[in-house]
Amino acid sequence: MLDDLAADAALFARMRAVWERLDPVPADLVDRMVAAVAVEDLSREYALLTLVEASTLAAVRGETDTATLQFSDGSTSVLLHVTATESGTRRIDGWVDASALAIRLAQGEREWSADAGEHGRFAFDDVPTGMSRLRLVVRGADGDLHDFQTPQFEV
Amino acid sequence: MGAMTHAGAEPSVDSVEPARWQRAAALFVRWRDGDARAMDELVRVMTPPLWHVARAYGLDQALAQDVVQTTWLTLVRRHETILDPQAVSGWLTMCARREAWRVGKLHRRADPTEIESLEPHLPAQESAEQTAATDDESRRLWLAVGQLNERCQRLLRIVAFEERPDYARIAEDLAMPIGSIGPTRQRCLGKLRAVLEGDGWGGDPDA
Repeated sequence: MLDDLAADAALFARMRAVWERLDPVPADLVDRMVAAVAVEDLSREYALLTLVEASTLAAVRGETDTATLQFSDGSTSVLLHVTATESGTRRIDGWVDASALAIRLAQGEREWSADAGEHGRFAFDDVPTGMSRLRLVVRGADGDLHDFQTPQFEV
Repeated sequence: MGAMTHAGAEPSVDSVEPARWQRAAALFVRWRDGDARAMDELVRVMTPPLWHVARAYGLDQALAQDVVQTTWLTLVRRHETILDPQAVSGWLTMCARREAWRVGKLHRRADPTEIESLEPHLPAQESAEQTAATDDESRRLWLAVGQLNERCQRLLRIVAFEERPDYARIAEDLAMPIGSIGPTRQRCLGKLRAVLEGDGWGGDPDA
């Protein structure tokens, strides 16, 4: 009985090795999952990015207004460009100068995710007006993952 | 390890290190106790087996990755429902199985040829080095698994990557019936051995 179990376990171990080799976990999957869970996990303490620059217009009021906000911790910077849409909601175009694995915009209980495209660009469409906060997980120059959040800002 | 007396447990092959389910359980407890970083390590430990569980359902790479992500987000949102932290790895694999099954069913309906074309799972892009390195024994095992029916292939792959400290308790947590997974697994293993032996493979010296 024990021999049978050991033989089964050995066969399963061989199968595991074959699957691991022939259908491996995609290279970036683990890091992306760590990041996806990090931005979801509100029990975390995120490093704070501080507001380093804001356009003279603190908030967008009308269709012709735009606001620009820049946040940084000294090494990682995020630039946000807020514009009004025809329907009165906001569009936020963002840019981050690090490889972003997960980006989340939060307004109270509501949240939206964005994927960073080429050159760290991302966008949130059709965001209601209100106090917002951005959380993101980036891969630093050291290869480690770092999570950040911005202070609240009005869109 | 004294608690691991239930029938059907796979003995850990790497007996020096704690089994994966034990590491996962310890990390989950640390996370619940307020160590936010323990979650990162839990994700690192359990994402590879969840990937193989999702792929066992014949999902393409993109869908399998979605299943793994949904599983993790479900854990963060619903972790209070896990009564026994020791069961977290089983909870995760069961969650991935349910999600993979659901996604697979949706996908099959949308594109009935897709699943068929994925069987058997052929290596998508093996480099020349990998092909050369794949020894004959592994190749024969791969081909033998590919000759089993879809259900057996799926079951064997899931069992190969799943470690369950207590199947009954996980089933209770998930309000799912305990299936006849043991006998079915033995039947599938038996078929696999028959194929391997028919192929003249004597690579299972203990059998």
